[in-house]
Amino acid sequence: MNFVTLASKNLLRRRGRTTLTVIGVAIAIAVLFSLLSFNSGYEKRLSSELNSLGIHMLAVPKGCPYEAASLIIHGGVIPKYLSGADVAEVKKIENIEIATPLLLHQFYKEGKPHIVYGIQIAEARQLKPWWKVEGRFFSDDETTAMVVGSELAEKEKLKVGDVLPFGPDQVPFTIVGILERTNSQDDEFHFISLKAAQDIFQKPEQITAIAIKVKDITRIPEVAKQLEEIPDIQVVTTNQIMGTILNIVGSVRTLLISVIIVAIIVSAVGVINTLLMSVSERTGEFGMMKAIGASGSHIARLVILETLFISAAGGILGLLFAITGSSVVEGFVKGVIPYAPAGKLLSFQPQFLGLCLLFSIVIGVVCGIYPAMKSSRMTPLEAIRSSVNE
Amino acid sequence: MNDALITANKLTKVYRRGSEQVFALKDASFTVHRGEFLAIVGPSGSGKTTLLNLLGCLDRPTWGTLKLDGIEINGLKEKDLTRLRRDSIGFVFQQFFLLPTLTVKENIELPLLFSNKNDGEKVVKEIIGLVGLSNRANHLPHQLSGGEMQRVAIGRALVNSPKILLADEPTGNLDSITAETIYQLFLRLNREGLTIIVVTHNLELADIAHRVIRLKDGRITAGGAAERR
Repeated sequence: MNFVTLASKNLLRRRGRTTLTVIGVAIAIAVLFSLLSFNSGYEKRLSSELNSLGIHMLAVPKGCPYEAASLIIHGGVIPKYLSGADVAEVKKIENIEIATPLLLHQFYKEGKPHIVYGIQIAEARQLKPWWKVEGRFFSDDETTAMVVGSELAEKEKLKVGDVLPFGPDQVPFTIVGILERTNSQDDEFHFISLKAAQDIFQKPEQITAIAIKVKDITRIPEVAKQLEEIPDIQVVTTNQIMGTILNIVGSVRTLLISVIIVAIIVSAVGVINTLLMSVSERTGEFGMMKAIGASGSHIARLVILETLFISAAGGILGLLFAITGSSVVEGFVKGVIPYAPAGKLLSFQPQFLGLCLLFSIVIGVVCGIYPAMKSSRMTPLEAIRSSVNE
Repeated sequence: MNDALITANKLTKVYRRGSEQVFALKDASFTVHRGEFLAIVGPSGSGKTTLLNLLGCLDRPTWGTLKLDGIEINGLKEKDLTRLRRDSIGFVFQQFFLLPTLTVKENIELPLLFSNKNDGEKVVKEIIGLVGLSNRANHLPHQLSGGEMQRVAIGRALVNSPKILLADEPTGNLDSITAETIYQLFLRLNREGLTIIVVTHNLELADIAHRVIRLKDGRITAGGAAERR
């Protein structure tokens, strides 16, 4: 027999209490691991999503530029518009490789929002050379042809050749193509020609934004400055969008960190409470152990080992919770953060596993110190007497 | 008579109860020789357990001196007392204090864990046989009778080959028939040379001892001189 056997057998004595304490630690560790994974995954996803736009900046109507930019990449309607003349002005600026107009519209079908992008197909494909389509793309002149994102097609069970009544007048649109999966928001959008969008949503000559790609990325600030000289236009670069979204998400992150701190404190108090109860119930036993030759450090070692078992088991269980329940966590996080990129937001990394396990063990040692000291300092006589007097 | 194993000289233990001093033991002087079987008897509150705790190095005297196997324990540090308890003394308690999740064998080998002896397997097996529990070695305490539990506790006290066995009311929780098996075990151990000191209310157990120290109000009233009956 050794201390490990002795400690593990002691924990089995009150299985219910030990299990609840382990679950307490597990919850704290699961939340911690999920947050670390979210932190790493969110930034990566956001960056990849902004890159998937294929642009360096957006020219939007004056107002709140970040809100406009966020709506454009996420979907939504801005009640302000630029005009075709603005596009012509933008195109005059040197160093701009592509400047293409976009008209966005949002409608609800069976309570779910649908986003429609009116685009100029040739320029859009230049911005997104990775776009592949099952079927074909529409041409800029087609006013009743549509391409849909893969996820939208899957959800709505749409096939190439289907005819979809569309817009306020329920104009029949033919689905000419389905985009291959891009793992970005594009997978959920309807794409029609700019002209078709302007017609069916009655926005003649109006556009929501101009997507811009520059020839030389080192000249982005200079181009942005020139663009802002055009009346009615505001410019946001993708870096600015990312910074702003990360700032907004930062407040949610702070909230989550507070939740974690509370969860960790609660679980630590739970561990300490369990150990103190356990130590107090076994005062007589500790007295007996001291009477038969155990030193204070033997008793402390036993108590610390017990906490280590609880916290390590809690750590492992918490990691299992976090990994197996990641879809639930992901759904929750997507619900509470203001901007959630498409795809998996939690990025599990081996170093986080190690870090969380180490953290659970540190909690164990810290929580075990007081009960261990308390039990190890008791004289054998005190311990035996307090047990006999109970 | 063999040489002295324990020499107590004017052992006194005083407890404070508020501003009042309570003499749990006063001026107890006696000698215990190797191989002796000594019973300490007296009414409740007479100081029996206080004396046993002092002899077992679980407590320190307020005054007086105590020598165990030639070592003066008054000035010893806690770690030296721990070593002395581990290597020289075996304890048997009225409440048994068996660990409920450990088997008979594991309970008996528990002291070896604290003395870092790794070669105890053979000794443990012998002791399980000595206390008559060979067929119960893998049972848990809740599967044992009171007498069997006390035999496990005695086995645990013997595993480190102590020089002296101290027992506090070892038959206090047992019926008379079961208690008899414990007397017989003590007698056998004593015949094999082990020094035994028993605190008891049980007159039958006191009767089989070589000598009886009687205590009243913290003072030895009889049996302080080392004479065999």
